[in-house]
Amino acid sequence: MSPKMSSQAGLSRLGAQIAPIVIVCAIVFALPLILNNDFLLNKVARYLVLGILTISLALSWGFGGILNLGQAMSFGIGSYAMAMALKLKTVPVHTGSGGLPDFMVWNNVARLPWFWEPFKSLGFALAAGIIVPALVATGLGWFIFRSRVTGVYVSIITLATMVVLNLVIIDQQSYTGGFNGITDLAQLEIFGMAFDAYGRATFYLVASCVTLSLLVAFAFTRSKAGLIVQAIRDHEGRVRYFGYDVAAYQIFVFALSAAISGLAGMLYTVVMEFASPTFLGVQLSLSVVVWCAVGGRQSLVGAFLGAVLVAGMQGALSESAAFLETWTLVMGALFVLVVLFLPKGLAGLAQGAWRWIVERRRPSRGVTQSVGEAREGSA
Amino acid sequence: MTTHLDLRDISVSFNGFKALNGLNMSVRKGELRCLIGPNGAGKTTALDIICGKVKPSVGTVTFDGTALHDLEEHEIARVGVGRKFQVPSVFRDLTVAENLEVARARRPAVWANLRWDVRRAGRADIERLAELIGLTEQLERPAAYLSHGQTQWLEIGMLVAQDAELILMDEPTAGMTAQETRKTAELLDRLKGKHTLVVVEHDMGFVKAIGDIISVMHMGQLLAEGTGAEVEAHPEVRRAYLGSGGITNA
Repeated sequence: MSPKMSSQAGLSRLGAQIAPIVIVCAIVFALPLILNNDFLLNKVARYLVLGILTISLALSWGFGGILNLGQAMSFGIGSYAMAMALKLKTVPVHTGSGGLPDFMVWNNVARLPWFWEPFKSLGFALAAGIIVPALVATGLGWFIFRSRVTGVYVSIITLATMVVLNLVIIDQQSYTGGFNGITDLAQLEIFGMAFDAYGRATFYLVASCVTLSLLVAFAFTRSKAGLIVQAIRDHEGRVRYFGYDVAAYQIFVFALSAAISGLAGMLYTVVMEFASPTFLGVQLSLSVVVWCAVGGRQSLVGAFLGAVLVAGMQGALSESAAFLETWTLVMGALFVLVVLFLPKGLAGLAQGAWRWIVERRRPSRGVTQSVGEAREGSA
Repeated sequence: MTTHLDLRDISVSFNGFKALNGLNMSVRKGELRCLIGPNGAGKTTALDIICGKVKPSVGTVTFDGTALHDLEEHEIARVGVGRKFQVPSVFRDLTVAENLEVARARRPAVWANLRWDVRRAGRADIERLAELIGLTEQLERPAAYLSHGQTQWLEIGMLVAQDAELILMDEPTAGMTAQETRKTAELLDRLKGKHTLVVVEHDMGFVKAIGDIISVMHMGQLLAEGTGAEVEAHPEVRRAYLGSGGITNA
């Protein structure tokens, strides 16, 4: 193979990797043409947002080898950032200008707490929804990866940290809305454009963010830094012997993943019209792991589709009379089956099928390969 | 040529067992030095000392004027010391080209490696390297699909990609067929001069084929040093290998 030919092969590999992203995003944007029902559109938008959350886990788990069981923590922080800003917008209507959010009035809070103040600016809230989760992840990652904590201990620490934040939010009812979360929000309005949870604008906003997240994550995995992160997943010690600072790379991918799930969290508040402690709950966080495994954690598109399909199925099952009690069992069985028989998830299945088709259609390729090997052997 | 790598009075013990006991050895720039000796002689430990995996209890290691025994593993790697371990350690899920790309660790910082053009810039380098190690056809294949010999060559290629001035290898031909061993000998022959190589090896035929100077170790010390014929004739060496059928069958 001449150098020119092999770089062409590299290019076609790039094409083969980006094609699924383009196709999936095109389908997502076309959905409103098929689904002529605002209620259904809102439901699908919700699944798409969960898809973004799962992309973020695929990045840290599938590519970085960091099984973050507290992935929903960043998601929850994002959703509260958005909810706080949208709640403050309702103050003039609910309690008069200069007043407080309604739940604070009920809890006899005298002044707006200091950490609520900056959320009067929507721009700040939008930035915070992404930057705060990234900063929290950087801090947490610094402690985890600088001390060379690995494997199951990373999962335990991330899960425990999320549970702590969850409990703090529930406990501090007068400042966070507690168990009820932050409800009764204003509509998101950016540059005069209103995003009604059941409107097309919101759906397209979500679809754009799906595209953006997939592309950012894809660009990262294709970069050299992304390659080094995958090498760390395969063989951490070996990477260190090349002179790389392994912890710095792990912290980076951990923070990037948190930023993307923060974005998803903000969108979730817009689509659901409230923020709740369940958004950073254990159940959601573990569900993300299942979606990611089912879709294929080493494929961004696979993880995304896994979330949309399985979350959609969860929705359908939990609403159907037959599976009202047992849908969690069905989900558990699905997870076990995938782990046992499809370690690379649905994406691995699709890739295998695609390779099978290509190799059957182009038998000549197999011949040149074996010639190459024969020459190798006789050398 | 002057001394490039110098080990002085190195001692190290594991739970009271003296793996190295006052080892002295110096290697010149561009040399291919073979390290042989009976089991437990301390050959692998000597490599561990150089690359920083094990710290000496006594003694100094200097490489190109830098004191290695004070540095951390990744710092030693940045000074230009590359290590190939006995168990092949390549990144199995990455392709051959990607493995070589990761090994090109000239700019180790995260931000420097986020740029898009970093990988395109190294492509020509990687293709040259693949040719050197005979893996041009396998560039886009995952490393998991390589044969044992190919995996070893890939790992040697990764050390070259790393731009390691000093390459340490622990039994590179273990488990290889005769043909693969011959190819490896050719490869090492092409590397010497440009790189300084220290190779731990059991296969005496291989050692005689590639080595300029052979260092024989025994009980944590240097026993003899010289060309293949010289060490074979050495009476101390004959005694050390007594009972194992002589040095040729070690």
